[in-house]
Amino acid sequence: MTDSSVSQPNFFEVKKGLFSWIFSLDHKRIGLLYLYSVGSFFLVGAALGVLMRLELFNPGADLIEAKTYNQVFTLHGVIMIFLFIIPSIPAVFGNFFLPIMLGTDDVAFPRLNLLSWWLYVLGALFALSTLVFGDGPADTGWTFYAPYSVKTGTNVSMSVLAAFILGFSSILTGLNFIVTIHRLRAPGMGFNQMPLFAWALYATSWIQLLATPIIGITLLMIVAERMLGIGLFDPSIGGDPILYQHLFWIYSHPAVYIMALPAMGIVSEIIPTFAQRTIFGYKAIAYSSLAIAFVGYFVWGHHMFTSGMSGPAAYIFSILTFFVAIPTSIKVFNWLATMYKGSINVQVPLLYAVAFIFNFLIGGLTGLVVGALAADVHLHDTYFVVGHFHYVMFGGTGFAFFGALHYWYPKIWGKMYNKLIANIAFAILFIGFNTLYFPMLILGIKGMPRRYYDYLPEFHTLNQISTVGSWILIIGLLLMIFNLFKGYFSKQKAPANPWNGITLEWQTQSPPTLYNFDKAPELVEGGPYNYPNAMKG
Amino acid sequence: MSNNKLTTDHHDDAPHITSYVEHFGTWISLILLTFMTVFISVFGADLNTLTVATALFIASVKALVVAYYFMHLKYDPKLYKIMMLVVMALFMVFLIMLTIDYLTR
Amino acid sequence: MEHSFVLPNSGHTYDAKASKLGMWLFLYTELLLFGGLFIVYMVYRSLNPDAFLMASLNLNVWMGTVNTVVLLTSSMTVAMSITAIQLGNSKLSLKLLLITVFAAVVFLVIKYFEWGAKIEHGLWPGMEHFGSLSHGEQLYFYLYFFMTGLHGLHVIVGMIFIVVVMNKIKKGSINKDKNQLLENSGLYWHLVDLIWIYLFPLFYLIH
Repeated sequence: MTDSSVSQPNFFEVKKGLFSWIFSLDHKRIGLLYLYSVGSFFLVGAALGVLMRLELFNPGADLIEAKTYNQVFTLHGVIMIFLFIIPSIPAVFGNFFLPIMLGTDDVAFPRLNLLSWWLYVLGALFALSTLVFGDGPADTGWTFYAPYSVKTGTNVSMSVLAAFILGFSSILTGLNFIVTIHRLRAPGMGFNQMPLFAWALYATSWIQLLATPIIGITLLMIVAERMLGIGLFDPSIGGDPILYQHLFWIYSHPAVYIMALPAMGIVSEIIPTFAQRTIFGYKAIAYSSLAIAFVGYFVWGHHMFTSGMSGPAAYIFSILTFFVAIPTSIKVFNWLATMYKGSINVQVPLLYAVAFIFNFLIGGLTGLVVGALAADVHLHDTYFVVGHFHYVMFGGTGFAFFGALHYWYPKIWGKMYNKLIANIAFAILFIGFNTLYFPMLILGIKGMPRRYYDYLPEFHTLNQISTVGSWILIIGLLLMIFNLFKGYFSKQKAPANPWNGITLEWQTQSPPTLYNFDKAPELVEGGPYNYPNAMKG
Repeated sequence: MSNNKLTTDHHDDAPHITSYVEHFGTWISLILLTFMTVFISVFGADLNTLTVATALFIASVKALVVAYYFMHLKYDPKLYKIMMLVVMALFMVFLIMLTIDYLTR
Repeated sequence: MEHSFVLPNSGHTYDAKASKLGMWLFLYTELLLFGGLFIVYMVYRSLNPDAFLMASLNLNVWMGTVNTVVLLTSSMTVAMSITAIQLGNSKLSLKLLLITVFAAVVFLVIKYFEWGAKIEHGLWPGMEHFGSLSHGEQLYFYLYFFMTGLHGLHVIVGMIFIVVVMNKIKKGSINKDKNQLLENSGLYWHLVDLIWIYLFPLFYLIH
């Protein structure tokens, strides 16, 4: 065997053609399949979001009317939640990098992994079929609350089945990752020598595994009611629609951590690399992921304070909600402590990571505001919740996703994007994002309700600012995507380790070979972030 | 937490082979429990709510026997027992939280 | 392309333990899938205790008991077939699996007659007699059909799983040294049994 790793063909070159991709068992290719599909749906969802913002530029139905607006925000929600953000980081970067970071050549069940992607495609087809078949896409909101989801004439059944299938795909990905982490770590890599991204994925996978079935069965009950008349949530015979909400949020609240935890994992990777420093509080960050996953199961009721749940139950859920803030802030403090006095190398991925902290902080703190029972009674179903949610999901997970894209770009494609343009795109994106969503928080406090195509004239200015923000955001987004595409076609090759990272993925060539490693990867002594020249203390 | 505690490979590689007799014994005990629960329900109807509690208790014993012997949990690494406990605990939490809501409405 | 270096922790080698761990994780999702239904059952039963009791009198305890015995027996045979293959006796293993599949068919046939009797009595949602039932009784039958229906679906899936495994034993790809797939099909079958163990008292024995 020759020594030079560059002479080995990388995983792009091994085989060519469409079928070598869509039937590939290689975790890297499946990760990229997810990237392309998830990315496309993100653009569709973003376009729907811009459409809504355009409608809200002026009060009154000047662009789309009420029912269409309802369908647009439902489709926006279904696409963004089930087709983009839940699979985003785990299925794309988890698939691509988890095996490499653990020093192995694939996930534990490669064929199951491919099946997950195909189920994802099938679910996507179901979701999109509502555009063509039946009486149009669902107009219930992505929560499909009974009894409206049972009564409405729109095609709820297909949307619900889509969510069911996508849930199954998500379960299989989680299952695969848990087994991979248990069975395929490099010799000598214990749980506490794993990169933090792997820890985050481990916690995420357990949520995917243990929460998703509950929503699966709940959605099946909706389908059974619509198709067979088995009306388990039908209030006219004593069925309880609030029970539907309970079951829905038993999944969907932990699902928020399916979206957020992997993003925190990404940030925990980016920050030590660009601070060139051992991460502060490795175990605290690792175990706080598990703690968030655990506490996340007990707080679902805070989505239902105004739904008619009992008072005592509401107090308990409200108190428990505050406990989530503890492990979350443990992470934030540790990230800040890692950067403090580090020799920081300011690059695009780090900017995204810091933006994550900033946005997530706003999202998290506003979360405490709506988690408080008394405040929530006023703020529930206002734009405050919309703003809060987008700060956490888009400003948090979305920005971490972009950060990961810029961080691992040279590893995945072996090329480098234009760093100057990437910085500019980041700045536009960050400004646009905050212009778009911060006014929503104010609108909510002022009492503008969510999910309407129309609003009172006093909310006009803030809505206009918000819509202008959406334009800035889109410009930044398109510039970023353009820059990434342009980088792909550039002739210049990126070095195997442009950021001087020391987790295992930086030991392979870029792009990696089919089996990731040509020799046994060497673990860093004293933990995955033990930078040799770092300042101690 | 060391490497070995959470992996499944800390047992010796030879799998435990359960004997036919043991499976048969398990079956006998399950059948006996089944008849017991049917008997209590059909002929002990005056126990009222107690019948439900007894029926559920016996069902849980049966489930435990199936999991422990037929599903081999008894001879499996500790990890499997811990995971099963976590899943059960989680489900109990769901039940308890819901009960709090419904009892105090 | 030659693969000159194989990692000791490769994902491409046969790993019975990974396969088993994966199967158990999948079983947890199945447990929670039914768990959601048990939650619904608990809530509605606690809201309508008397109606549930009344409605349960429509079920035939003896048919339920026979089905319980049938499933428990099939659980034993599938467990024994694993013992057989571990001892190298594929023929016996095949026979025991055949009994399991046969038991599954018996279970489904009995279930078919039970459902048939309910529908004959007009107890299917939407039928005339069904509409005259009290609200709680309607909820009971919704749950009955939904839960036993979903369980029946699992019986069918488990049967198919076992038939696939039988084929592989015949071909010799499941054998004394490599039999995790058989064990997994057994685990799945026990899960089907496990759920029935709870369905049986909750629907048949609550009076």
